[in-house]
Amino acid sequence: MIRVQGLGKAYRSGRRQVEALRGVECSVEQGTALAVVGKSGSGKTTLLNCIGGLERPDSGSVHCLGINIHELSRRALSMFQREHLGFVFQFGNLLSYLTVFENIEFPLALNGISRRERDLRVGALLESVDLIDSARALPGELSGGEVQRISFARAVAHRPQILLADEPTASLDSQTAHDLVRLMLDVVREERATLIVTTHDPVVIELADSIMHLRDGKIVDETRATVL
Amino acid sequence: MNAGSFAFWMRIASLFLLRSRRTTVVLSLMVLLSVAILIFLSSLAVGINDAMVKNSVTLYSGHVAGFDLAADLAPERLEVEGVDAVVKRIENRGLLQRNDNIEPVMLVASDPAEEIGNTALWRKITGGRYPQNGNAEILLSEYLSERLGLDIGDQVQFRRDLNSPAAAFRVTGIYRTGIEKLDRSLAFCPPAILPDDESRWSAAIFLDDGIEAEAIVRQYRERFGSAAQFKSWQQLMPDLRQLIDLNYVSMSIVTFIVFGLVAVGVSSAFVIFILKNLREYGIVKSMGVTPFEIGLLIALEVGLMNLVACIGGVALGVVASHAMSAIGIDLTAFTSHNRYFAVSGVVIPRLTPYSLWVPPAVAFGFGLAASIWPTMLVVRRRTAEILRGI
Repeated sequence: MIRVQGLGKAYRSGRRQVEALRGVECSVEQGTALAVVGKSGSGKTTLLNCIGGLERPDSGSVHCLGINIHELSRRALSMFQREHLGFVFQFGNLLSYLTVFENIEFPLALNGISRRERDLRVGALLESVDLIDSARALPGELSGGEVQRISFARAVAHRPQILLADEPTASLDSQTAHDLVRLMLDVVREERATLIVTTHDPVVIELADSIMHLRDGKIVDETRATVL
Repeated sequence: MNAGSFAFWMRIASLFLLRSRRTTVVLSLMVLLSVAILIFLSSLAVGINDAMVKNSVTLYSGHVAGFDLAADLAPERLEVEGVDAVVKRIENRGLLQRNDNIEPVMLVASDPAEEIGNTALWRKITGGRYPQNGNAEILLSEYLSERLGLDIGDQVQFRRDLNSPAAAFRVTGIYRTGIEKLDRSLAFCPPAILPDDESRWSAAIFLDDGIEAEAIVRQYRERFGSAAQFKSWQQLMPDLRQLIDLNYVSMSIVTFIVFGLVAVGVSSAFVIFILKNLREYGIVKSMGVTPFEIGLLIALEVGLMNLVACIGGVALGVVASHAMSAIGIDLTAFTSHNRYFAVSGVVIPRLTPYSLWVPPAVAFGFGLAASIWPTMLVVRRRTAEILRGI
C-alpha cells in the first residue's frame, strides 16, 4: 500500500516560487492501478517522483509498504528502490551503452539474482514484450515503441511491488500505446503490484482502477473504480 | 561489497567504455600521448646529464681517480665489481724545454693502448697521432706547443728540474680539449721511457653503466684505508655536479609545470566526460544504485580508461626512448662549444624508474581525483533533478 500525506513541493523558477504540489493526500491499495491525470505543469511528475523517492518533498510524507521513504538514509532509500520499485519513464531512459538484454538484466543483477535465473527471466520478459530478436540490439537501434516496451520489461524484471510510470504512452501511436497499457496492466495484475501512472491517455484512464485529477498541485477529483 | 558485485560493476564500466568508443578513444589517446611524451622527455633529460658526465669522465679522469697509490698496489686490486677498467698512470712533474723556452708540465706516462681504449683524449688530437709504446714520443696540448714553438716531428726535452738530466722526446701529436685544466700543462708519453719515480702512481678508474662512483670510493676506502686517496667525479668536478643537480631541479620544475598542465587537461576532460553522461548516472540512480556504487562505477570507468591509456603511454614512451637510444640524438650543433660535451654531442636517452612510474602515476592519480567532483555531483543531486536535465 502507498499512503501520501500532506505532500508539498515548491520549485524556484528564476525569481518565482512555483508550488508543484500543495498538500496532496491519497492512498493506493496494493494490487491496484491509479491513473494520475492533469494538464502539463499540474504536478503529476513531481508527485510520482516524490512517491518513488527521486525527489524529496518540502512537507508531508510518503509511506510505501509501511515505510516512510523520505526518512530513510540515501543508501537505505537506494536499497528500497532497487528491491521494491520499478520506473517507466516517458522516453524510456534505457542505458544507451547496454544492449536490450543487458538493460533488462541490470535490476536483476543489482538485486543479486543468479546468472541462470537472470537469463531465464530476461528471456521470458523479452518474449512477453515480443522483442526476443532484439536482445542484442542497443537502444539507439530501436523504435520509440520498442524502447518503451523494453523500459517496461526492465521496470518489472525484479518483480517490484510498486510500479511507477510517467506518461509511458505519450510518445507512442495509439495502437502501440494500447498494447503497452494492456501489457502493463496484465503484468501488474499477475504480480499483484501497485501501479501509479501519470497520463493524458484515455486508454490508460479507462483501464485504471482509480483516477486522480490534479490541478495546480492539488487533487481536484478522485474516482474509484473496482478494486482488483 | 562482494566479489560478485564488484565483477558486475567492472563489467558495466567496461561496457560503458567499449560502447562509448569515440569518447573513450579520444580521451585515452590524450592520456596515452601525455604519458608517452613525459616519459620520453624525462629520459632525454637523464640522457643529457649522462652525456655530460660521460664526456667529462672519459676525457681523462675516469669516474673515480686514485692518487698517490703505492707501487706495490697492483691495478688489478682496484678492479672490484662494477669497475670496467683501471688505467695506470705515473705522473712526472717537471719542465719542457725547447731552446730558451721553458714551460712547467705534468708528463703522464701511461700505456697508449689503455689510454686509447678507455679515455677519449686521443679523439681531441688536432694534429699527428698518439705516442706509441717503446718510443720516446710525446703528445702535447696546443697551448704548450704554441708556447714552446713546437710542431709535429720536433724534438723537446723534459727534465724534472733545472738541474736534472734531460730526456729527449719527439712530438708526435698535439691536442686541444677546450678544457683549460687539460689544455694547460699536460703531456703524455709511453711508460718506461723516463727514469720514472715508480714509488707512487695514479689511477683513472672507469665504471660500468649505472654504478655509483661514490659507492666505489667507499669500497676503496674500506679496503685500502687512508694510505691511498680516491675521489669520485663529483668531488673532482664539483661544477659538473652542481650543473647536473641544477638540471634535475629545472627538469623537475618543468616536469611539474607540464604535469600540471596535462593534469588540468586530463581532469577537465574527465569532468566533461562524466557530465556528458550525467543522464546515464541518473537512470542507474533511479534503479536503486547506492551512492557508494555510483562512486565505484565512475572510479572504475575513469580508472580502467586511465590504466589502459597509461599502459599504452608507458609502452610508447619506452619504445620511443629505446628507439632513440639505439641511434642517439646528435646535438653537436648545440654543444660544440660546451666543455661538458667536449668529446661528443650525441645524447642517449635513458629510462630510470622515476621517469617510468611518475608520469603514469600522476596521470592516473589526477584522473581519479578529477572524478571526485562529478561523483559528488551525481550523488548529491536528486535523481529527478538529474533526469529533468535530459
